[in-house]
Amino acid sequence: MALIHVPRPSPKAMNPNRPVSSLLLTQVEHLQHAERRLPLRYRTEIYTHAIKTEAEAAAYIDQVTKAIHEAHADAAGRRAQRPKPKGGRKTRGAAERPKRKLRKKVSTPRKKKTPHKK
Amino acid sequence: MPTGLDKLQHIVVLMMENRSFDHMLGSLKAADNRIDGVTDQLNNPDTTGALVKPQPLAQFQGQLDPDPDHHFPAVDLQIFGGSKAPDRQPDMQGFVKSYFNQRGDVAHSQKIMYYFKQADLPVLTTLALEFAVFNRWFASIPGPTICNRAFAHYGTSFGRVDMSPFDVIEPIKSIYTRLINSNPKRTAKVYYYDTTSSTMEVVNLLQNQPELFGTHQQFLSDCDKGLLPDYCFLEPNYNDHETDSGEQVANDQHPDHDVQAGELFIAEVYMRIKRNPKLWASTALLIVYDEHGGIYDHVVPPACPPDNFTASANNTGTGMEFKFDRLGVRVPAILVSPWIPKNTVENRVFDHASIPGTVTKFFLGDFAARSPREVNADVFIEPQASPRADRNLLSLDTMRTDCPEFDV
Repeated sequence: MALIHVPRPSPKAMNPNRPVSSLLLTQVEHLQHAERRLPLRYRTEIYTHAIKTEAEAAAYIDQVTKAIHEAHADAAGRRAQRPKPKGGRKTRGAAERPKRKLRKKVSTPRKKKTPHKK
Repeated sequence: MPTGLDKLQHIVVLMMENRSFDHMLGSLKAADNRIDGVTDQLNNPDTTGALVKPQPLAQFQGQLDPDPDHHFPAVDLQIFGGSKAPDRQPDMQGFVKSYFNQRGDVAHSQKIMYYFKQADLPVLTTLALEFAVFNRWFASIPGPTICNRAFAHYGTSFGRVDMSPFDVIEPIKSIYTRLINSNPKRTAKVYYYDTTSSTMEVVNLLQNQPELFGTHQQFLSDCDKGLLPDYCFLEPNYNDHETDSGEQVANDQHPDHDVQAGELFIAEVYMRIKRNPKLWASTALLIVYDEHGGIYDHVVPPACPPDNFTASANNTGTGMEFKFDRLGVRVPAILVSPWIPKNTVENRVFDHASIPGTVTKFFLGDFAARSPREVNADVFIEPQASPRADRNLLSLDTMRTDCPEFDV
């Protein structure tokens, strides 16, 4: 079959100053929701209500997306570095669990309280 | 058993933005009468009462500005023509009226009826004619992007008909969680274009499971290296932005983004899969649009079994509650595989709930925790063991060698 030519978009297609669409504003709003759940040090200082163009929306979307990935990667790194408890954290099935030595209960008779001598 | 089904290892879904079937593929009626596209008998009244016919005058950019309204109340007007009567019937007569509401310009409102000529869209129309085109693939909800995309990820929107963040309600899980938690373990990924475009599934997937995500560059690399997961979902570039490698033009085809940029993106995805012979033989690629974006289509969306949720009259904005018992407007959908006979036209009804429905059934078999909408949605690939395997679209015994190639 012959190779089919795919026309390239016009150079005029690119317009980062296009007013931001309701779809992109929704995406910004969702990312802001996610950003609020990040620790403070990962948060952007972008005021989202000032976003008016696609380029501005894109800049915010980029920063928060990267921050989410970074925060999760850092958390995973910290979990990996945490010292493991001695003997590991293996959970064993009840069947494998070594039986505890049963202590022989020795019942010692309670001493009778002797009434204070007056 | 069809050989293609034996070989199938990967399902790839590419979901584009906001274009109706008639707008993108309606011209194909002239090429193949079985394709339910545009005819001369179709029309919509404008606000003066004049009847406006669909015309092949759609432009790649600059025509649908402002972005046609496709929130729930506007789509209700588009489908029901403005009737609020209890016994109202859908007639698809309200598209021009709806678009008029945004600018109050009669001439401009008529552009909502425009569609592309076949030659304008060489990628989408070629794939539709060469593989399987769906005559009856509908958006899941007569509403906007986020709730419709939720159906593709979860099989439900958890009662939402709008763009608000939604909560995942147990026991339903995303298709990705189902796959990666399965035994034997399956692989799944969402490839967004890049971090500057990111994903439209922020609140649940990106926020809680960022490890599920990769970029478009990773998708291309995974195709080359044969590392594609069992299931992956591709997101286009949703905004114009600059990167170190240059200008990135939005290629999602959302009005008013350039439609040709989307054509190029679809061709790139298709060719990348095709250029790896092993991957090409073992992959089915579904190209589908999330919703119609307020643009005209003539096919009445059918009623469907309700979901477990009801959107209140307040939430729908129409004064009427919605039980998720009617599909949204029809969208373009094409299934690509070298095991599909050339020029297949599929007439069964599908919606985005068919995506997790198909992927779950194919890779996991029975899976209890699914929404009623997903359980009732038809599947576009039948598993081998299915008694319905005979209706499979991947039905060839020998792989095709005549599939098209694009110069990307």
